[in-house]
Amino acid sequence: MKRSKLLAALALASGFAVQSAQAEDLTLEFVVWNYSLETIQDNVKQFEQANPGIKVKVTDYAWPDYHDSLILRIRGNTPTDVVYGGQDWLPAWGAAGFIAPLESVAPKGTVEELSKDIAGFALTDVTYDGKVYGLPYYSDTISFIYNKKILADAGIAVPTTWEEVTAAAEKLKAGGMDKPIIYEYNQELPNFYDAFVAQSYGRGAELFDAELNPLFADPNNGAYKQLQWIADAYSKGLVQSDNHESTIITAMNTGKHAFTIVYTYVLAALNDAATQPLAGQFALAPMPGETHATLGFAKSYVVTAKTAADPVRAEAAWKFVNFMAGKPYTVAKRWAVEKGLGFGQLPLFEDKDVIAAWSKWADVGALGKQASIAKAGTYTEFSSVWSAYFRPLLAQAMVGEAPVDQVMKDGAQRWTELKEQFANR
Amino acid sequence: MWTSNRFPALWLLPALLPVILMTVYPIGHALWTSLHEVMILFPGEPFVGLKNYQRVVASNYFGDALRNSLQFTLIAAPSVVLLGTLIALFLRRRFFGCEIVRSVVLLPWVLPGAISAVLWVWVFHPSFGILNGILRDLGLIDASIPWLTNPQTALLAVAAAHIWTQIPFAVILMMAALAAINTETLEAAAIDCRNPVKRFRYIIFPEVKAMIVVLLVYNALTAFTSYDLVYAMTGGGPGTATTLLSFQIWRESFSMYDFGAGSAVAFIVVIISAILIAAITKALPSDLFASN
Amino acid sequence: MPGRLHPVVTFTFAALILLFTGGPVLLSLYGSLVPDRVLLSPDHSIVTEGPNFETYRYVFTGQLPDSYQQESANRAMISDAARQVPGALVNSSLNALAAMILNLILGAPAAFVFARYVFPGKKLSFLYLILSPLVPAVALVTPIYMMLEWLGLVGTQIGIILVHTAKALPFTVLILSVFFRKIPAEIFEAAELDHCGRFQAFWRIALPLALPSVGATGLFAFMLSYSEYMFAMILSGDARTRPVSVVMAALARNTDVSWSLLNTGIFIAIVPTLVLVVLVWRFVVEGLIGGAVKG
Repeated sequence: MKRSKLLAALALASGFAVQSAQAEDLTLEFVVWNYSLETIQDNVKQFEQANPGIKVKVTDYAWPDYHDSLILRIRGNTPTDVVYGGQDWLPAWGAAGFIAPLESVAPKGTVEELSKDIAGFALTDVTYDGKVYGLPYYSDTISFIYNKKILADAGIAVPTTWEEVTAAAEKLKAGGMDKPIIYEYNQELPNFYDAFVAQSYGRGAELFDAELNPLFADPNNGAYKQLQWIADAYSKGLVQSDNHESTIITAMNTGKHAFTIVYTYVLAALNDAATQPLAGQFALAPMPGETHATLGFAKSYVVTAKTAADPVRAEAAWKFVNFMAGKPYTVAKRWAVEKGLGFGQLPLFEDKDVIAAWSKWADVGALGKQASIAKAGTYTEFSSVWSAYFRPLLAQAMVGEAPVDQVMKDGAQRWTELKEQFANR
Repeated sequence: MWTSNRFPALWLLPALLPVILMTVYPIGHALWTSLHEVMILFPGEPFVGLKNYQRVVASNYFGDALRNSLQFTLIAAPSVVLLGTLIALFLRRRFFGCEIVRSVVLLPWVLPGAISAVLWVWVFHPSFGILNGILRDLGLIDASIPWLTNPQTALLAVAAAHIWTQIPFAVILMMAALAAINTETLEAAAIDCRNPVKRFRYIIFPEVKAMIVVLLVYNALTAFTSYDLVYAMTGGGPGTATTLLSFQIWRESFSMYDFGAGSAVAFIVVIISAILIAAITKALPSDLFASN
Repeated sequence: MPGRLHPVVTFTFAALILLFTGGPVLLSLYGSLVPDRVLLSPDHSIVTEGPNFETYRYVFTGQLPDSYQQESANRAMISDAARQVPGALVNSSLNALAAMILNLILGAPAAFVFARYVFPGKKLSFLYLILSPLVPAVALVTPIYMMLEWLGLVGTQIGIILVHTAKALPFTVLILSVFFRKIPAEIFEAAELDHCGRFQAFWRIALPLALPSVGATGLFAFMLSYSEYMFAMILSGDARTRPVSVVMAALARNTDVSWSLLNTGIFIAIVPTLVLVVLVWRFVVEGLIGGAVKG
C-alpha cells in the first residue's frame, strides 16, 4: 500500500516538474526518426543559438516505429509542434487535420517563393489539396544498383531493360552466382512497394489515371508486367529477399550478388570506403525499361495543426522550419555533403561542395540525370491505408503464392472501394 | 489451507491495484473500440456492433495469419517446455564446468528481442550466415539454404529463434520446481525405479506438473501474442509465410488507421488464447486453478 | 541425487547446450572484433588481422576508427546512436531493478495468501490476475499511452517502471504461489501452535524457505522489464532516459551503422547484464541445489 502511494506521489511530482520547466522559454517539440540523430541535434543547437528564447526538444523514434508513434502522440494529445513527414502519409494527415498548410504559419508569400526552388516531384510530395504542407528535409530517388566488377569480370554489359536484367542474372547464375539479385522486402515497410513503383516507372508505366482510377490491373500496363517479371525472376531462383536495407549493404558487400533496387542513399553506404570491403565497386544505372524513369520522393518538415492554431508557437515553428529547409539551404546542404542524402532544393545541384562530396560514392552526372526524370508517386488520403493492404498481396505474387492477375485485380478493387469511401466521407 | 472470513485486502491490493490500473480502463477502452467504427481519417465513432469482427474474420489475411500463429504456437510452446525441462534435469547434476553451462544458459535472456533478431538473422542469412557457412564447410550442402526466405523453412527458422529466447526462463523455473521436490521422495525413487524415463513419468512429473502447466500456459500466450522477433527477422514474409495474427492488431490500427478492426483482432486473439489455455489445463489437470 | 551419466554423454549434452544458447552471442563478440571488410572477405579473418577494438573505442570515447582517416572516406556507417548504449544500460538496469523489487514486495504477500488461505473473493481475484495478461499488449497501447499522458508520465522512467511492474505482477503472483504451496503444511501448522500470526508465518517461514525460488521469480520480473520493447519505446521520449531495448532496436534497423559497430553495441549491451544476472542466479542455484531444500 505504502509503495503504491509513494509511486503515485512520485508520479505526480514528476508531472509537475515537467510542467514547471516548460514555463520559461518557448520549447518546440520536434519529432523525428533517428537517422543520424547527432546531426539533427547539432542543427537544432545552431538554430537555438541563432534564435534566443526558443528551445527545441528533439524526440526520436526508429524509422519503422516512427509513423505509428506519431499517430499515438496525436491520439494521446502529446505536445508536438514540428515533425518529419513522409510523402505517403502527408495527404492522410492533412485530411485528418493533424497538420497545417505552411501558409498558415509563414509570412505571406514566403512559401510560394521557396516552392520555386523545389524539384517537381518533391513539390508534389509536400503538396496536398493544392496547399504546401512541408519543406523538404531530404529528397531522394530509387536506384537500380549493380556491381561494376562482377559485370565486367563476366563480360556483361549494364542491362538497360528488365529482359536484359534477367539475361544477365541467368548468365551469372550459370557461372555459379546463386542469387544475382537481392531484393529488399518487408511487408510492413513502404520500401518494397516504392521500389516496385520505381521499376514500373522505368517501363514508362502509369499506375493511375488523372482521375485517380487504377490502371495496373490491365495486363498491358507496365506495373502488371513488372510484377510478372519479379514473380518470374523469383521462380527462376534469381532473387534473394532481404528484410532490411541495412543487411542488403552487408550482403552486397560479400560479392555474392550483382543487382539490387534500393533508395539511392544506400549507394553511399555500399561505397563507404571506411567500412565496406567492396567499396567503389557499386554504381547506379538508369532504371531498366523503356523510359528509365524512376520514383522520386521527399521527406519534409511539417507543422502540426495544433501549433498552427497558436500564433506564438506558430511563429516559432515557422522560424524553425525555415532554418532547417529554407534559404540559404545550409542544413539541406549539410545532409547532402555529410550523409549523401538527396535534396529537393534545386540550387544545391550546382553547389561545389555537394558535387565534390558526392563524387566519392556516385557518378554525379548520372545521379543528376536520374533526378531530372524522376516522377512522384501517387499519394492520396487513403494511399497509405491501401498500400498496407496491397503490400502483402504483392508479396504473395512475388514468391508465387498468388497469381499476378488476381493480386492486381484485388488491389485495383480495394483502391476503388477506398476512393468511394473517402468521396462519401 | 487456512480459512479467513474476510478478504485479505492488505495482502492482496498491493498486487491487484497496479494490475487493475493497467487493465480495467485499457481493456474497457479496447472493447469499446472493437464495437465502434474508429477510423481516425473519418469523423465520428458510431456504434457498429460486431461488424468489425465480421470484417476481420472475412478479410483475406485472416485464414493464413491464424494458421501461421497456431502453427508457431504449437511448435514453440511445447518445444520450450520440453527443452527447458531436459536442460533443467541435466543441469541439476554436478559435472566439470557445470557452473559455466548453468550461467551460459541464461545468455539468451539478457538480450532484448531486437538483438536476438540480429543474431539469428546472422545465423540464417543466405549470403553471410554462419549456419550456411558451416554446412558448406562440412560439405553437407552446395548452395546456401535461404532459411528465412523460403516459405517452407521460414516459420521453423523464426520459431527456433523464438524458442532460443524463451529457454532460460523455462530452465530457471524448472530447476526451481525440481529443487522443491522432497529429497526423500527422490532417494526412494532412485532405489525403487531404475529406468530414468519411468522415474520421470511416475515420480518427478507429478511433482512438477503444476510448474509445467504454468510454463505451457505462459509460453502458449507468449508465442501466440508476440511478433516482434518474427517481424524483425522476416517482415512477415516470404509472401505471407510468417504473417502472424497478433501482428494484425498493430497493422489494422496503425497502418490501416482502423482501430476498431485492430481491437476486434485483439479480442479474437483473446478468445483463442483462452481456448488454448483451457485445453492445456484440461489436458494436464493440476491443482493450480483449484479454488481451495 | 540423480543417477550417473556416462562422461561422454554429459560432455556432448553440455557442449550442445553451450553451442545453442551461447553460440549466437559468441558470434556477436567475433563480429565486434573484426571490421566489416575483414568479416565479409573470404581471404581475411581474425587470425590474419588480429582483433580490432576501434569500434569499442568509438562507443566509449567518440574517436572514429582509423579507417575513417583515409582521404576517400565519408563519415558514413558510423552513427552516434551506438554511443547511447552505455547510458541506456544504466537506464534499463534501474528500470528493471525497480520493477523487480516492486514485483517482489507487491506480489509475494498476495502469492502467500493465495497459496495458503481460503477467503471470500479468492477465486474472482485470482482469476482476474491470471486472465488479465490474456489481452495482447498491442491492443492496450493506445489507452495506456493516453492514460499515462494524462498522468504526465510519458517520457519518464516512472511510467516505464509502472507498466513493467504491472505487466510482470500476474506471473510473479502465479509462480510464487506455486512455490509457497510446495512448502509442507505441517511447518505452518507447527508455527500456528507457536501463535505465529499471518505476517510472521509469511515473513519468518514462507519467505526464507522459498528464498531461492523468490530470487528466480525476481529474475523473471527483472528480465521482463529489461527486454520489453513496445512500451519502453512509446514511453521513453528522450535519449537520456531511453532503455537499452529501444536503443538496440534503433541501432539494428539503422542504415548508418556498420555490422561490426552494431555487434559492438550488442556485446556491450550483453556483458554487464550477464554479470548481474549470473550473480543472482548463482545465489538461486546454490539455494536450489545446495542444502536449502530439505522440506
